[in-house]
Amino acid sequence: MASRIDEVFSKKKKLKIMTHVVAGYPDLETSQNLILAMAEAGADMIEVQIPFSDPLADGPTIMAANHKALQNGLTPKLCLKMIEEIRDEVKIPLLFMTYANLAYTMGLERFVSESAACGVSGLIIPDLPFDERGYDDYYFWLKECNLVGIQVLSAGLSLPRLKKLLKIAEGFIYITLRVGVTGAREGMEKKSADFIDQVKAYAGLPLAAGFGISSVEQIRSLISRVDLAVIGSHLINLFNSGGKENVQEFIKEANQVIEQLS
Amino acid sequence: MKQKRKQRSEAVEESRYFGDYGGRYVPEMLVPALEELSGAYFHYRESQEFQKELENLRKNYAGRPTPLYFAENLTRLGRGCKIYLKLESLCQTGAHKINNALGQALLARKMGKSCLVAETGAGQHGLATAAVAARFGLRSRIFMGEVDIKRQYPNVFFMKTMGAEIVPVRDGTKTLKDAVNAALKYWIEHLKDTHYLLGSAVGPFPYPLMVRDFQSVIGQEVKAQIKIYENRLPDVLVACVGGGSNSIGLFYPFLKDKNVRLYGVEAGGRGPGRGENARRLGKNPRKGIVQGYKSYFILDHEGQVQPTHSISAGLDYAGLGPELADLHDAGRICFDQVTDTEALSAFKTLCQAEGIIPALESAHAVAYALKIARKFSRRQIMVVNISGRGDKDLFIAAKELDNEGWMRFLKEEVNHGQPD
Ligand SMILES: Cc1ncc(COP(=O)(O)O)c(C=O)c1O
Repeated sequence: MASRIDEVFSKKKKLKIMTHVVAGYPDLETSQNLILAMAEAGADMIEVQIPFSDPLADGPTIMAANHKALQNGLTPKLCLKMIEEIRDEVKIPLLFMTYANLAYTMGLERFVSESAACGVSGLIIPDLPFDERGYDDYYFWLKECNLVGIQVLSAGLSLPRLKKLLKIAEGFIYITLRVGVTGAREGMEKKSADFIDQVKAYAGLPLAAGFGISSVEQIRSLISRVDLAVIGSHLINLFNSGGKENVQEFIKEANQVIEQLS
Repeated sequence: MKQKRKQRSEAVEESRYFGDYGGRYVPEMLVPALEELSGAYFHYRESQEFQKELENLRKNYAGRPTPLYFAENLTRLGRGCKIYLKLESLCQTGAHKINNALGQALLARKMGKSCLVAETGAGQHGLATAAVAARFGLRSRIFMGEVDIKRQYPNVFFMKTMGAEIVPVRDGTKTLKDAVNAALKYWIEHLKDTHYLLGSAVGPFPYPLMVRDFQSVIGQEVKAQIKIYENRLPDVLVACVGGGSNSIGLFYPFLKDKNVRLYGVEAGGRGPGRGENARRLGKNPRKGIVQGYKSYFILDHEGQVQPTHSISAGLDYAGLGPELADLHDAGRICFDQVTDTEALSAFKTLCQAEGIIPALESAHAVAYALKIARKFSRRQIMVVNISGRGDKDLFIAAKELDNEGWMRFLKEEVNHGQPD
């Protein structure tokens, strides 16, 4: 069965855009509206983060958003419900991103099946590597529930490990543009550019790139290099300074640049 | 040769877990650095030259072996078994933390790293890291929660004096757990030239195993020393448990000696309420995967890490070392708690009875030892780990135990510094 994610990559558009939202930031309703606004502005996919107290892969911006959401009383359950409510309205695929502890505490089976039931198409759990205990279980339930498990890779990976990862990867391969935590930065590290080329040589899946994207120029530089650009912290910064209109404007601007070059 | 290396790497993989606990639950980008580290560690662990170098530093720099001291007066107060104290408090920089810092710094140098990054709670691990960095000519950057910086200022001052850069952590609970997060994140961004010198037997593989190995010198010495004094094994070992490095270091060489009872003492803080203590193994303990390892953590029912409290910054941590978690489940170690008030009282007791100033962390072990000594006969032997000395706790202890005199001193100090 072709998933909704595969459909996104069959679109003609040269570079697709995945935006990132921290559920419950600044509050549940606003984050729900933000998802709708992003979809309306032309995002191709949205990654919804279920907040965790100790988000290991996240820089200051997203970490602060996680903490704010938790202060406001956000729970994984509320997050699932929030997505379920708008699932029919949003036509693009949604993914959940979260950390292993929340899935583990809920129970992997329950976490995966309830995510599927509320209508997301895939999951990203960066701190559950494929060779740790529990991953097999997770993988089993992903298959069972028809969800896609996205792998996040970074430069520095050994070739044997890269090959193993590519074997189990599905949907698309998410490459971090820097070896570091999330957060808006300028430019692209040379070794990340090389790493993208290396993965491309082996991967039979679309490639996504994220971590640090904070300008339309960076997005322009990714066209023809990868298939999907992931924008996280920068959108939170834009939201903080000018609300959802500010976020929409950036998405539209990025799409214009992509259309021009398509 | 190749066969041997393959066997070793398989053994390494096996050792990632302690029973169900431990592992290497980190984002993929950290895996290469952790593989490099475990590769180097398992290589140098077998190297005689490395061990000799470490041995020499332990002896001439850290001041090992530390005494195993028969505490006659404390024994009388305990009205039960004989109480010996293992005086890690006499180590260079004042705590057991130097054992691990020396080992890892030596390893970091072999790996060609020029910078050490570390988290610290009580400041003892930060101090040990700053010291070994100074000793080896490495740069050091110490992450410390803002709350801890305030309550452990003496250590902050000495770390700075040794040339370390102190980075205040203002995220989350602003204590040890958040300092670990911040240090890990810094490391992720500086893998090439930086070694993360994790200070307790926690975190992703290989840290819990490596830290345990470096700290096992405590238990090995105790075993040899008690043989000389008593010509037999001790009956009871007691240690305080933050992440678990001083406790596993004392216990590990005795794990197979089934008649030696092991007690781990957690921080009972102000009581059982949420955020009032640092008990991972209290009522309804919760398992989780946090900061790269699977173990018991203080979590809410959804898996969010909860705030903790202890009068001692070093025990004020939400996670338990994975090996201890396994030994808890196996019934090999018995865990219990001591409150802030009991620890303070034991702090005073040890000062008065033996002229030994324990760290507030170690005072938890002393308090517990005095609680249970009566359960054992006069002929039985207990060893209590005095993991560190209490000089760093001057500001906390003085306020609690001699408020008037201390406040007068502080006021005078401030007034002298200011022109009227
Ligand atoms: C003196 C002392 N004892 C004990 C601890 C607790 O750590 P661990 O459980 O790793 O020994 C600390 C930590 O900072 C400490 O400084």
